[in-house]
Amino acid sequence: MSAHPAILSEDQRDCYQELTNVAMGQAADRLARLLDAYVVLPIPRISVIESSELNMALQDAGNDSSVSAVCQGFIGSGIAGEAMLMFNDTSFASLAKLMQYTGPLDKHAELELLMDTASILIGACIHGIGEQLEIHFNQGHPVVLGQHCDMNDLLKHGNNGWDRTLAIEIHYTIEHANIECELLLLFTEESVKTLNKKIDFLLD
Amino acid sequence: MSQGQIEITDIHWLMDILQNIDVGLVVLDTDYNIHLWNAFMDSHSGISPQVAKGQNLFDLFSEVPEDWFRNKAEPVFQLKTRTFTIWEQRPYLFKFRNSRPITGRTEFMYQNTSIIPLESPDKRVNHICVIIYDVTDTAVGRLDINQAQETLTEIQSQDALTGLLNRTSWLPVLENLCSKEAQHAEPSSLLIIDLDHFRDLNRELGHDKGDEILKRLGAALQTLGGETHGARLGGELFGLILKGKDATQAVSTAERLRRSIATLNKGSTTLISASIGVAGWHPSVTSAIEWLSCADKALYHSKESGKNRTTLYQHKQPD
Repeated sequence: MSAHPAILSEDQRDCYQELTNVAMGQAADRLARLLDAYVVLPIPRISVIESSELNMALQDAGNDSSVSAVCQGFIGSGIAGEAMLMFNDTSFASLAKLMQYTGPLDKHAELELLMDTASILIGACIHGIGEQLEIHFNQGHPVVLGQHCDMNDLLKHGNNGWDRTLAIEIHYTIEHANIECELLLLFTEESVKTLNKKIDFLLD
Repeated sequence: MSQGQIEITDIHWLMDILQNIDVGLVVLDTDYNIHLWNAFMDSHSGISPQVAKGQNLFDLFSEVPEDWFRNKAEPVFQLKTRTFTIWEQRPYLFKFRNSRPITGRTEFMYQNTSIIPLESPDKRVNHICVIIYDVTDTAVGRLDINQAQETLTEIQSQDALTGLLNRTSWLPVLENLCSKEAQHAEPSSLLIIDLDHFRDLNRELGHDKGDEILKRLGAALQTLGGETHGARLGGELFGLILKGKDATQAVSTAERLRRSIATLNKGSTTLISASIGVAGWHPSVTSAIEWLSCADKALYHSKESGKNRTTLYQHKQPD
C-alpha cells in the first residue's frame, strides 16, 4: 500500500510476517490435505491500510473478474478482526473437481465449496496466529458477502468506524489447477496496539 | 465451604446452563452416535436425552443428509478445526418447527451450526460437538430484503404503464450490441417508433384511452417474434432492438409493425398510425447513443415526409 506514517516498526512488520508464515503454512497444509493437492505457499503481505484503501486492496486481490466471498469475525484477549476469503469465480470448476463434488455446479454448489474452504483456511490461520500469541480466538459465524459480484459491490454496506488498520493478505494458488483465492485478515484499529504489545514481547 | 463442595456446585451450574442455554448442543463420536443431547434438542425434537443417547444420528434423523454432514464433520475429527454451516447452504440441519408457531412466518426453524472438536486427554479428537443456532429471524429478514431488492430492481428497470424496459435499463442492452464482435456473431437492428398525432388522440379520446393505446402498442412490440428488446423511451416514443435481423429484415418487420399499429384502435373510427426510423449497425457506430441518433434521424425523415411510414437510415459509405 501507499506510504504513510507507519503504525508498525520494521521489526514488528517482520514479526507479523513470520507469525503469518507459520499460521499460513498450517492452513495450507490442511487445505492440501483436504484437496489432496499441492498448495503453493505465498509470501504474505503485511500492510497498514486506510479504510478508503480497503476497496483497493480487494481490487488487487480479485483482478477484474467476478468474485464470491465470505467473511468471519474473530475476537479474543482484546484483539478483534475479520477474516475475508475471496474466490475468483473461475476457480470453482477446478475446486469442485478436487473436492470430488458431484452434481451440477450451480450457485448453491459454489456456496458449499466456498464455505468448506473458508472453514478450513480461516480457522487454521486464525488458530495458527492465536497459538503463537497465546490467544484463544472466538470465531463468529461466517457470512456470505456476495456471490458472483463485482469487487466494488462486496463492501457496499461496509462500515467506516475505523480509519487505519493492519491488513494481512495471503494469496493462495493451487498448483496445476486454476484455483486462486485471497485470504485477508483485518484487525481493528484498537487491536493493533494490543497486538503490537504482544509482538514486542515476542521480539524481546 | 470446602473446595470439593464448590467444584460440585460449579458442575451443577454448568449442567444447568447447558440445559437452559438457547442453542442446541449435540456431542457425537466418530461413528456419529449421540453422547450428549441438551434440553434445546429435547424440546424441539421431542426426543428425550434418554432416548437419544447412544443412538446413531443418521438413524434417528433421516432428514440429516449423511454425506453432506460427514463432509463437514470429518475435517473436525481429522484436522482439529472448527467448521461452520450457514442457513444459506441448507436451511436447517434438524427439521424443527419455528420456535414462534403463531406469528413466525416460516414453518421450520432456520439454523446455523458450528462443529467443534472435543479433545480427549490424549490430544486426539474422538468426539465433536455440534452447536445449533436458531437464526430464523435473521434468515427471514435477509430473504425479505432480497425479495424487496429484486422487486425494486424490477420496478426501476421497467416502464410502469407498458411493462417494457425503460430507457435507463434498455440502453445498456443496445450498448452491448455496439461492437464488431457482437455484430459478427449475429447482426442486429434498431427501430424507433413514434405514434403520430398522439397529443390530438389524447385530447380527442381522453388520457385513459391514450394510455390504453400505449399499453396495446407495448404488447404489440412484445409479440413480434424473434428475439426483441422493446422499451418505452418516453411519452409515445418507443425503441425496439431486433436481434438476428439485418437492416433489410428490420425494415420488413417495421412495416409489419406499422400495419398492426393501425389496428390498435380495435375497430373504432379513430385512426392510429406511427412513424418509424430504422438503423442497422455500421462499423462507424461505436455507442448506443450514436446508434440511437441514426435511428432518430430516420424517424425524423418519416415524420417530415408525411408520417405513417418507415425510413431506413443510410450509413455513409467510406470513400
